[in-house]
Amino acid sequence: MTEHKRSAAIRYTLVTLTMCLIIAPFYWIYSSSVKESTEIVSLAPTLFPQTFTLTHYANLLSSSDYPIYLTNSVVVSAATMAITVVLATSAAYGLYRLPFPGSKTLYRMILLAYIFPGSLLLIPLYVMLSSLNLLDTQLALIIINVTFAAPFSVWLLKAFFASIPFELEEAASLDGASWLQTLLRVVLPLASPGVASVAIFAFITSWTEYMFASILIISDANRTLPVGLAGIIGQYVIDWGLLLAGAGATTLPIILLFVLIGRYFVQGLLEGGVKA
Amino acid sequence: MLGVALVSPLALWLLATIAYPIFSLIRLSFLDVGVIGTGGEFVGFENYQRVLNSRAFWPSMGRSVVWVLGNGLLQTVLAFSAALVLNMPFRGRALARTWVILPWIVPTVVAIIVWKWMLGTSGGIVNTILLRLGVIQEQLGFFSTGNSAMASLVGINSWRFFPLLTIIILAGMQGISKDLYDAAGVDGASAWQRFTNITIPGLKPVLFVMGLVGTLWSVNIFDVIYLITGGGPSRGTLTMPVLIYDMAFLQYRLGRAAAAAVLMAAAVTLFTIAFIYFLAPREADDDDEGWQ
Repeated sequence: MTEHKRSAAIRYTLVTLTMCLIIAPFYWIYSSSVKESTEIVSLAPTLFPQTFTLTHYANLLSSSDYPIYLTNSVVVSAATMAITVVLATSAAYGLYRLPFPGSKTLYRMILLAYIFPGSLLLIPLYVMLSSLNLLDTQLALIIINVTFAAPFSVWLLKAFFASIPFELEEAASLDGASWLQTLLRVVLPLASPGVASVAIFAFITSWTEYMFASILIISDANRTLPVGLAGIIGQYVIDWGLLLAGAGATTLPIILLFVLIGRYFVQGLLEGGVKA
Repeated sequence: MLGVALVSPLALWLLATIAYPIFSLIRLSFLDVGVIGTGGEFVGFENYQRVLNSRAFWPSMGRSVVWVLGNGLLQTVLAFSAALVLNMPFRGRALARTWVILPWIVPTVVAIIVWKWMLGTSGGIVNTILLRLGVIQEQLGFFSTGNSAMASLVGINSWRFFPLLTIIILAGMQGISKDLYDAAGVDGASAWQRFTNITIPGLKPVLFVMGLVGTLWSVNIFDVIYLITGGGPSRGTLTMPVLIYDMAFLQYRLGRAAAAAVLMAAAVTLFTIAFIYFLAPREADDDDEGWQ
């Protein structure tokens, strides 16, 4: 019994240490973002806030460009999400449920696209979008974010589509349902955790993208959150309270999304790894 | 041919945004282009010559190798440790397995802000804790020299990426039959023997993909480095992606930057071919459903 208890104690200690490594930085952002400015920059940092204020968040919303960046990020991420979900589910349905000669090769080529380095594509995409007069537009960011989100999404959907019995589709088509009806009424509802995973992945990819946004967007009015926040870091005197509030507020939507459908997302990653 | 019709929108999209740009990158590397929209004369291999003879090129290639190796090593150690921990039975395991991915899904900029601040020298929490514990006598300058900045950046980047690898390893562990472990237990194998003789071989296909994709991802990391050190101090963290970015968008030498990008791509491609040739697990060859 004592042996058993000791091993349990070791187990829980290890788990706690692991989760601390993951969580501690986030605790530090949120706990510090509610401290008074003097406490934030104090040379003797306090593990638990000694003061409490929401000034930094108020400043963020009222006297910085944060609301503009936020709106832009929401627009770009929502559009990326919608386009990725449509493109990836239709491609995944074609690849996995209606295989055709060469579909496996095509699947591999699509995955290869995912490996393709962003920094390699930065220069030519910049030239291409500039010749299309798309520099400094949100459309440019949407186009690029879909490119980076879609290939992985196709892979992510594989395990979910594979778990749906073909008999269901056959039954639907015997009942006279068209392929579109079958897809929308039979396949997609069963694969909905997969579709949710794709949506969350596309949203996050877009929400966090920095490199292309920093080059393709020129005017302040079109900037997204990562570039906006990076602008604050670059200033000569950093307002840490504002910056931490900005970091906290930028992370919050992702945490909320994850509370809702994070389970499916990780399940998708786990199942994809086993079955694919 | 409904299947083809359903795949083609995505295929065309990727053709336009990946395949065509790569073609135009190669074209650009032979042109004398500075600022976008200017120049454009064919100059043969001049861009390549200039890049190869520049003082920054080879050291940057070397730093990229150090960067990839450092990240690969640290992330593998972290991810294996975390996966072994999260594979044990404990209360709240499902929750822990979901939230472990958090560092991978937050914006890089947020990770940068918090780590830059935690590793600071005036009131940074890490220095404060280490000082109070008596581990160090004076503040560590995490970004003060080229080498220390490189090490710190590897640490920060690894913190961001090891969660994904943890999930991938956990997925691989689920695929290993429990019977193997039971049989080994009957034979009296130690935990370490079970790890080296069952877990590691069982994870081979997963480890192969992880090594390949992980390398390709980490070699391209730009934002973490650029936003924290900008390649400094004294070029100590100037890896290839940062060098290419500098050439293209700060020095306005698009043609030359394109040549540098092509050279880097060539190096990465050679690595990929060698990696697949020497390390591809045999089973993956005939398994069409293989982990690609």
